[in-house]
Amino acid sequence: MEITLKNLTKVFQSKKEEETVAVDNLDITIPSGQLTGLLGPSGCGKSTTLYMISGLLRPTEGKILFGNEDVTPVPPEDRGIGLVFQNYALYPHMTVRQNIMFPLENVKMDKQESLEKAQEIADLVGIGHLMNRKPKQLSGGQQQRVAIARALVKSPRVLLLDEPLSNLDARLRLQTREEIKRIQRETGITTIFVTHDQEEAMSISDEIVVMREGVTQQVGRPQEVYDKPTNLFVAKFLGTPPINIFEGRVEKGNLLIGDTKIAKYDAEDQEVSIGIRPEGFKLVEKSSFHSEVEFVETIGRDTTLIIKHPNDESQTFRAIVDADFGVEPGDSVKFTVKPHKMHVFNSETGEIV
Amino acid sequence: MLEDQSNVKAWLYLLPALILLSIFIFYPILNAIFLVFVEDYNYQTGHYVGFTLTQNFRYVVGDFNFRRAMLNTMLITFVSVPVSVIIALLISVWLNAIKKLQGFFQTVFFLPYVTNAIAIGMAFAFLFNRSYGLINWFLGIFGVSPINWVGMGASWGNAMFSLLVYVTWLGLAFKIMVFLSGLQGIDKQYYDAARVDSASRGRVFRRITVPLLSPMIMYITVTSFIGAFKAYTEVIGMFGERLGPPGDDRALITVVALVYRALDRSGVPGALSEAAAAALILFAVTLVFTYINMQVSKKRVHY
Amino acid sequence: MDEAVYGNEKQIKRKQMIRLGVVYAFIVFFALFIIIPFYWMVITAFKTETEVFTSPPILFIGLDPRNWQWGNFGAALEQAPFMRFTLNTVVVAIIATIGTVLTTILSAFAFARLNFKGREVLFLIFIATMMIPGEIFVITNFITVARLGWVALDQTYFQALLAMTIPFMTSIFYIFFLRQAFKTIPDELYYAAKVDGKSDWQYLWRVMVPIAIPTLTTITILNAMNTWNAYIWPRLVTQQEDYRLVSNGLRDAFDDTLGVIMYHEQMSAAIIVTVPLIIAFILLKKYIMRGVSRSGIKG
Repeated sequence: MEITLKNLTKVFQSKKEEETVAVDNLDITIPSGQLTGLLGPSGCGKSTTLYMISGLLRPTEGKILFGNEDVTPVPPEDRGIGLVFQNYALYPHMTVRQNIMFPLENVKMDKQESLEKAQEIADLVGIGHLMNRKPKQLSGGQQQRVAIARALVKSPRVLLLDEPLSNLDARLRLQTREEIKRIQRETGITTIFVTHDQEEAMSISDEIVVMREGVTQQVGRPQEVYDKPTNLFVAKFLGTPPINIFEGRVEKGNLLIGDTKIAKYDAEDQEVSIGIRPEGFKLVEKSSFHSEVEFVETIGRDTTLIIKHPNDESQTFRAIVDADFGVEPGDSVKFTVKPHKMHVFNSETGEIV
Repeated sequence: MLEDQSNVKAWLYLLPALILLSIFIFYPILNAIFLVFVEDYNYQTGHYVGFTLTQNFRYVVGDFNFRRAMLNTMLITFVSVPVSVIIALLISVWLNAIKKLQGFFQTVFFLPYVTNAIAIGMAFAFLFNRSYGLINWFLGIFGVSPINWVGMGASWGNAMFSLLVYVTWLGLAFKIMVFLSGLQGIDKQYYDAARVDSASRGRVFRRITVPLLSPMIMYITVTSFIGAFKAYTEVIGMFGERLGPPGDDRALITVVALVYRALDRSGVPGALSEAAAAALILFAVTLVFTYINMQVSKKRVHY
Repeated sequence: MDEAVYGNEKQIKRKQMIRLGVVYAFIVFFALFIIIPFYWMVITAFKTETEVFTSPPILFIGLDPRNWQWGNFGAALEQAPFMRFTLNTVVVAIIATIGTVLTTILSAFAFARLNFKGREVLFLIFIATMMIPGEIFVITNFITVARLGWVALDQTYFQALLAMTIPFMTSIFYIFFLRQAFKTIPDELYYAAKVDGKSDWQYLWRVMVPIAIPTLTTITILNAMNTWNAYIWPRLVTQQEDYRLVSNGLRDAFDDTLGVIMYHEQMSAAIIVTVPLIIAFILLKKYIMRGVSRSGIKG
């Protein structure tokens, strides 16, 4: 069941009459049965959006539709949603079983049925053997699964997760994000999760929505958004290591950094910011695009060259190359750029050129 | 080397407190045990007749006043504490529900804690005055004729009732403070989660608020019981050294009052042993009830 | 999260208003219950004798302070030397509090910062003794104080002061309270000070104490308040009325064995005794309430 957000806006008023626009006219459709990630830096409005979808926050303007149903006036308890809080919000005084069964108490379900359903869901998320424990006896990862189980037990139409991985340590994060993906696949529920970690979003989402200061930046499949960013912000936000930015200009069909022509480019003359992915450099014998290598980092298969930035001597940029080249610090290297790894944005608007 | 130095140094820091505590806390505990088992002890000469296992206890328990004191103390404890706790709980829940003026009312409810038990006790006594007090005037509105609460010839029941009202009133402040603090400490997220889980108001209160508050409730109940067993100054506040309405001396005597009455007769051989015996009996009773209290609470308290 | 409201806006808003109104009503009701004794005390203190002894009681004495009987306070002061008692109480409070604060700082430091053999055992012993009721100590302390010659019939003022202060120069409760505060000071500060060549003594007084001033203030205030309200012990160990403290003075002056009580004078005396506490409360509310809640929540 897809979710449509129309003109969704949320304005917060502080005590001093200051207004903060947390979410600004969001217009997106979240596909049914898929795992969608709301991605963006702190304060971009992603959690606010999530809570509006849940009903715990009322939008200032706009509508939320579940399928064809306008749920904007419907309270959270009647929307059929499951919500996993960032801190899990497990009732500390109840056992795992009681926590999972709590939502069912408020629905007319016969005790035996509830018990079975709870066990079923617990098994699905992998904590079926911990039913008698109390939350504080569980690890972070286990607690989170309980939270997920509690959200799923009432067979919600939508599953919402607020920063599900931020409280976990690095190793657990990898494991858990796969779990989330698996659970979503098995249940087929439309799932939305919020995160500020682009790697996380990229790895498991079927679709991502990149947000910034309350405004949608780009929507699409992760690889698409990575390969074809529509603005500078999205290009900078996605990708590890991050994209390298060079200031330059388009002049008479040529792309120039400083006085160096690095490529032909068909566009109007303008000041631009050129984004080149670290993996977008090719070392060559002859090229006008060159600079001096400061450091070389070899990690297993990849070698990362840290090279003096042409715009600013005190800065550097990164290029990932094959290990075979045998480059030393101090060497001068020349490269060409793979065109699909280079993105040119107008310096003023940040939009793609 | 360093370790040794650290030990000596630490004990040096503790020395002033330890000296004082040894003289005024540890030694008295041991001495109290000594006193209880000694016969006709005269503290001025240090002379005593012999040792006895039970004489001092029998003396205390046999005293007519002891039975009265026990009854009064039990009544004060088992009536004022539950009533006070329940009212405090309700008030805290209500206070937690309002935003405006919460601070103001919190201050108001805390006032009884910072007052002098004797000064306010006197005010209460006058409130309950038969002819000129506010209570009888108020009851008069409903057609009740003036009751003699604390005056000459007042019945034990009436006097005890007024005392109970006073003690309950006095006990509210601290409890409200602790409960309110506890309520405010409950993470709002639990309420949000419950909301998403479609829990009704009543269910949220019963299954989430009260269990999460239960450690405070137990703490308050246990300490309030312990405190109520020691009731004495409150009685002095309302009734003076007489401990009862005029003409009925010691009607509202408490066990602690017994201890101090014995102390007043310190010159009399054996009086101090009586005091010690009474104090120890009280301590034992308190321990037993505290233990029962804690056992009962164990099932209901969630940490 | 601020509660999002749903449903027919007007209806829901009205239900919420009503619910809120009911809650306020109950709160106000109980607040009145709390305030009435204070109110009664105050208006009685400002009434004339005839106004006091009327039935039905006068509930309102008008807002004009000129009609209020300030003279009652004068009369109350004549009933008993309240100034003298206040002075005594202040002196005792100062001595006892200084003593307590000093011993508490030293002991809390030892428990919080120093590692020494027997620390755990001593801690447990302290906790155990906290559970023992005060009455048990009083008996022997009386004997001790008498043996020291401080409560003889020809007791001097100085001896009375000793008897009223020395036994209370330390408190296990405050030691724990301060220890808690000391424990929140990060170890790193201590190590940094050590590296800078500071001794423990210097660290205690130059770093820990200044950081713990709020807690120490709370202790001082609570201790002072307890002294102000002290009744039993001062009465027990003083031979002359003149040596006694404010609560004793109040009770003794208006003891109703002597017939009818002049309530207006009694209440004004009660106010004289209560007002300093209320003023202290208003000014130092933060410290008092924090002290109470800290001890409360710790459980």
